[in-house]
Amino acid sequence: MTTREAAVRSRRVTVSRSVVAESPWVRFAVRRSGRLLVSLWALLTAAFLMVHLVPGDPVRAALGAAAPNDLVEARRHTLGLDDPLWLQYAHYLRGLATGDLGTSMTSGLPVSQVIGDRLPATLELAGLAFVVAVLLAVPLGLGMAVLTRGGRRPRVELGFTTASVVVGAVPEFLVAVGLVLVLSVRLGWFPVAGSDGFASLVLPVAALATAPIAVLARIVRVEVLSVLDADFVRTARAKRLPARRIYLRHVLPNALTASITLGGLLLGALVAGTVLVENVFSWPGLGSTIVSSILSKDYPLVQAVVLVYGVAVLLVNLLVDVLLALLDPRSTIREA
Amino acid sequence: MATTRRARWTRALRTPVGLAASGFLAVVVLLVVLAPLVWGERAEVVDTGNLLQGSSAAHLFGTDSLGRDIGYRVLVATRLSVGMALLATVIGVGTGLLVGAAPVVLGRRTGRLVTGAVNVAVAFPALLLALFFATIFGVGARGAVLAVGLATAPSFARLTQTMVASVADRDFVSAARIAGVSRIRLLVRHVLPNIAEPLVVNATIGAGGALLAFSGLSFLGLGVQAPAYDWGRLLEEGLGRVYIHPEAAVAPAVALVVVGLAFNLVGETIAKGMSPRATVGRTAGAPHPPGPRTATGPRRLEPAGSTLLEVEDLHVAFPFAGGWATPVRGVSLAIRPGESVGMLGESGSGKSLTALAIARLLEAPASVRARRLTFQGTDLLTADPRTERELLGASFGMVFQDPMTSFNPTRPVGRQLAEVSQQHQGLTRGAAWARAVDRLREVRVPSAARRARQYPHEFSGGMLQRAMIGMGLMGAPALIVADEPTTALDTTVQREVLALLARIRAEEGLALLLISHDVTVVRDVCDRVLVMYAGRIVEELPTDRLGEARHPYTRALLDAVPDLETSRDRPLAVVPGRPVSPDALPAGCAFAARCPLATERCRTDDPVLADAGPGQRVACWQTGENLGLPAFPAATSRAATP
Amino acid sequence: MSELRFEGVSVTHGWGRRAVRAVESVDLVVPSGTVLGLVGESGSGKSTLARAAVGLLPLSAGRITLDGDPLVGRAGHASRRDLQMVFQDPYSSLDPRMTVGESVSEALRRGTVRGAQARRAEVARLLELVDLDPGRMDALPEELSGGQRQRVALARALAAQPRTVLADEITSALDVSVQARVLNLVRDLNRQLGLGMLFISHNLAVVRYVSDLVAVMYAGRIVEQGPAEQVFGFPRHPYTRTLLDAVPGRGELADAVPVVALSEPVDPHDPPTGCRFHPSCPVGPLLRPERTECLTRDPLEVVWQREHRAACHFSAPAVPASQEGLHR
Repeated sequence: MTTREAAVRSRRVTVSRSVVAESPWVRFAVRRSGRLLVSLWALLTAAFLMVHLVPGDPVRAALGAAAPNDLVEARRHTLGLDDPLWLQYAHYLRGLATGDLGTSMTSGLPVSQVIGDRLPATLELAGLAFVVAVLLAVPLGLGMAVLTRGGRRPRVELGFTTASVVVGAVPEFLVAVGLVLVLSVRLGWFPVAGSDGFASLVLPVAALATAPIAVLARIVRVEVLSVLDADFVRTARAKRLPARRIYLRHVLPNALTASITLGGLLLGALVAGTVLVENVFSWPGLGSTIVSSILSKDYPLVQAVVLVYGVAVLLVNLLVDVLLALLDPRSTIREA
Repeated sequence: MATTRRARWTRALRTPVGLAASGFLAVVVLLVVLAPLVWGERAEVVDTGNLLQGSSAAHLFGTDSLGRDIGYRVLVATRLSVGMALLATVIGVGTGLLVGAAPVVLGRRTGRLVTGAVNVAVAFPALLLALFFATIFGVGARGAVLAVGLATAPSFARLTQTMVASVADRDFVSAARIAGVSRIRLLVRHVLPNIAEPLVVNATIGAGGALLAFSGLSFLGLGVQAPAYDWGRLLEEGLGRVYIHPEAAVAPAVALVVVGLAFNLVGETIAKGMSPRATVGRTAGAPHPPGPRTATGPRRLEPAGSTLLEVEDLHVAFPFAGGWATPVRGVSLAIRPGESVGMLGESGSGKSLTALAIARLLEAPASVRARRLTFQGTDLLTADPRTERELLGASFGMVFQDPMTSFNPTRPVGRQLAEVSQQHQGLTRGAAWARAVDRLREVRVPSAARRARQYPHEFSGGMLQRAMIGMGLMGAPALIVADEPTTALDTTVQREVLALLARIRAEEGLALLLISHDVTVVRDVCDRVLVMYAGRIVEELPTDRLGEARHPYTRALLDAVPDLETSRDRPLAVVPGRPVSPDALPAGCAFAARCPLATERCRTDDPVLADAGPGQRVACWQTGENLGLPAFPAATSRAATP
Repeated sequence: MSELRFEGVSVTHGWGRRAVRAVESVDLVVPSGTVLGLVGESGSGKSTLARAAVGLLPLSAGRITLDGDPLVGRAGHASRRDLQMVFQDPYSSLDPRMTVGESVSEALRRGTVRGAQARRAEVARLLELVDLDPGRMDALPEELSGGQRQRVALARALAAQPRTVLADEITSALDVSVQARVLNLVRDLNRQLGLGMLFISHNLAVVRYVSDLVAVMYAGRIVEQGPAEQVFGFPRHPYTRTLLDAVPGRGELADAVPVVALSEPVDPHDPPTGCRFHPSCPVGPLLRPERTECLTRDPLEVVWQREHRAACHFSAPAVPASQEGLHR
């Protein structure tokens, strides 16, 4: 092929693509939703396979060893478990598409109804905890970075690092237990458990947000410190801009792009952390549901709750990517 | 080097974190080994007379529903809790390592597939994955170990992948591939050793995480089942009666936190021990940094009135290994209005630090001292921050080496110019913007109004360096300091930027301090050149008389660099040895060890900068005796003696 | 005898829509025992070409041969060792965890040196060859300076007994006082061992000093090639002339209004039509509107014929007849 032919051909191809190629945002949306779909498919399939990977017969396991064989067979038939795997998979996907998540083995209620009852409480908890964590951690991290830049105030740095390591290492349920012990049992300020008004929210949210605050503040500090080393901050100082402007206009936006990625991971972990915290506080959310359903081997319900958590995590990741694309003009949207 | 590595570890262990880590670790290991042997039986003793008791002399943390002592049970549970955590970590790290390193061994396509799968898996939090696997493997200790192990695998796979990719990109791996080294050997010999340390650190911290994850599962009733018990299970039992006897929950909770923390501290210590940066710590009680000599220093050249910038006996020092390293020691220079001065030197000669010190851009821990530092008649050493900011902001411009990193990537270029005028000339946002566009036009950025709205990554390097020069012109500068302004640019563009600098200087009548390692660049643009070596100015002379340079180092620099007229048949002159490090300066002349003319005096007495002709100053003891001789015989190369 | 030959070599980065032709239809010969200097600015495809030659990047078209044997291909693994490469960054080209001796020894050809003693002796010989004290064999790279590391990298390349060596910007990360020693070494290796080399650099003076032949690359293509003294003395392609004019220390600095947009590099995703240099060309259609041919026709289509070749419709004449004798 001569060069000219190649040029002509490439031009022709470009024309047909130009609509898509025109806006980097279109390309970003196409690529990102492609990734979302693949992840979603992986999640659906994993949740489907989960039930089939359980050693032994899930129905037998759920009904107990003493259950008569014909009852087990009948239940297997109503659940469609005697169909070939691909057919079950097809039924499963069709069910999902129509919002049918199956029936809970223990309560006999539609799974979608159970989820609908429980999801809002969990969302409330996780969302509030995340907002609290970000609002506290970002200023804390920035302040610490400013105070300890260039090896200043080594004692403050040591104190902060130690405290953030310690606090960040304590899992949510331990924080929860500690808070209950001190603030509820000893001081009686907040209710020990349950979901009843604002007061009952305080402890679960605090328990969920504590570790992320420590981790995020630490990350923000490290990011700010590394941005402070960047050439463009030196340029800003060479322009003799006031410190406030340098920090807010030049340092923070650049430090945040890196922190958001980790913030997204934290939010994902926070969603999962609700499982433990809800169990401590008997919070009527999905977290207590999944544990009880795993214990009672209520597989349709487990499957559905895993799906809901998974989708929540995927949405968080999507949100992070969109935020990053908006904040950073070099744009993840342009490259690869 | 083995010795420095050992020193690094010793130092890391001696920090408070290191001491705490090793202390904790010793206690945990002892408990794991001994506790079941010593207290194993006592923890199983059923005391029906003391069911669900609180703290007492006999039972410090009370008893459980069968009257067993909770304190002993917590101690004995160390082995199971820690053991399972370690087992799960081994599973997680092992799986992660296999999956993460697979792309190196597998081909390009399969590798991408594996990477993609890991990217999907890593998005899900470990606890969620653990619940997922726990459902599959069933409730119980074995299921929980597998679940926690596999749940941590994706993040380790991702970590391994990232690190492997960064190592595999490096040239030594390419070189080994070209030399015919097999993929497996490449992985084992080159890649894994270079990622081992961070991996160990993360595995240690990961073990702490596994411990807590485990307790989480046991706490939920999904982990260890009776009659076996670990901390999570004890905690769950204790929490049930937290109202009546909180100490039953406190004991296992404290154990969990303390041991989880111990893993973290050990990880931190390993990280400190392997990171070379950590060794350059703060120097408590270090002696004062070197400063100007009071009695006999290099004297001033010009009367203060006619100079724009005057620097006398400038020292820059950094704390280093208990003392101070002094990369700039006693630099004196004066720049007249409208003059163009070049500062020539190799990397590490202190030329950039000198510029930053003059621009007052060095912050703690750097120490800047000088006998005199005035700009436009104002003493910068004593000026209050406000005066300094107003003076330098308005009449002092800086151009840095790499324009691509010297602009804020998240703001439009025009705004970054405009904020100078908003700050220092009090212009409104709109007026400042108009001036920014005008300045971009002045430095010949095509379609300036449009480009002002663009972000730095949309500019080419040359265009961005033009914009940087334009930024220096936002005020009414009297001096522009340009630190290697063309080094990061392509040769064809270099020339354009130099020409721009020269024109701006001529038109605006401003002075220029051009810092470069390249003689030819300085020769093109400057009237006068200062040659720096090891933090000193060793020679100063007019650019058009560079051929008459007297300092052996200046001559070496001129002879060692080929130009388009260099004879191809003769080897280039060679400077033996390597530049001295600013923390290990010799007593005498810093160049003596590399100098073919050095005598005993050179090794003991440091030469001072002395007049050596019209407009010329040299710091060398040998210039008088060896005038006109080529400083460097080319015979150091083997080719000349076949 | 070892002749490295590139025939119609193209290298493409990326897939599908975002594919970029980093190197396009390159024909180049490095004759036996000759140093060919390859110059061009960053992004012109110099390093890509070298990396493709040693098999680090796949070719999308053409072939690379050493003495007529194709180098790149599945069966070409053994003969690929005949071609070795030295990289730009001395701080990343040696494994920080291997001693100098281990790095060099690893590259020795299997079967040529047997036994630990003999290997050490061979490594010592190689280190001496590059002017390094063999006593430093057990040193780690962190104990060496940049120039010393670069010489170790050369020794490692020589350990494979290559017939030709690719040197990719091997002096550009070095300080000027150290660079001379590496350049002298390159010259000696060529003159004393008869080693052929493809010497890549953006520094024209350095290339002129070590090279017998010179090729100039622009936007992925070779735009001019010929004997060094002819290309430097009588450049025919306007881009080569621009490069030579840009060498510091040559003549007045004139900040003319940039009629030609040199500051704007070619966008590899959307290269200009016709001659790729036309938007920047000082004798091209922007300044001489009648030269429309440059906009539409690719000069590479014109067959190469002469010893000193330039891919330009309006190239300057080759060495003037009156001066021919001077430069032969």
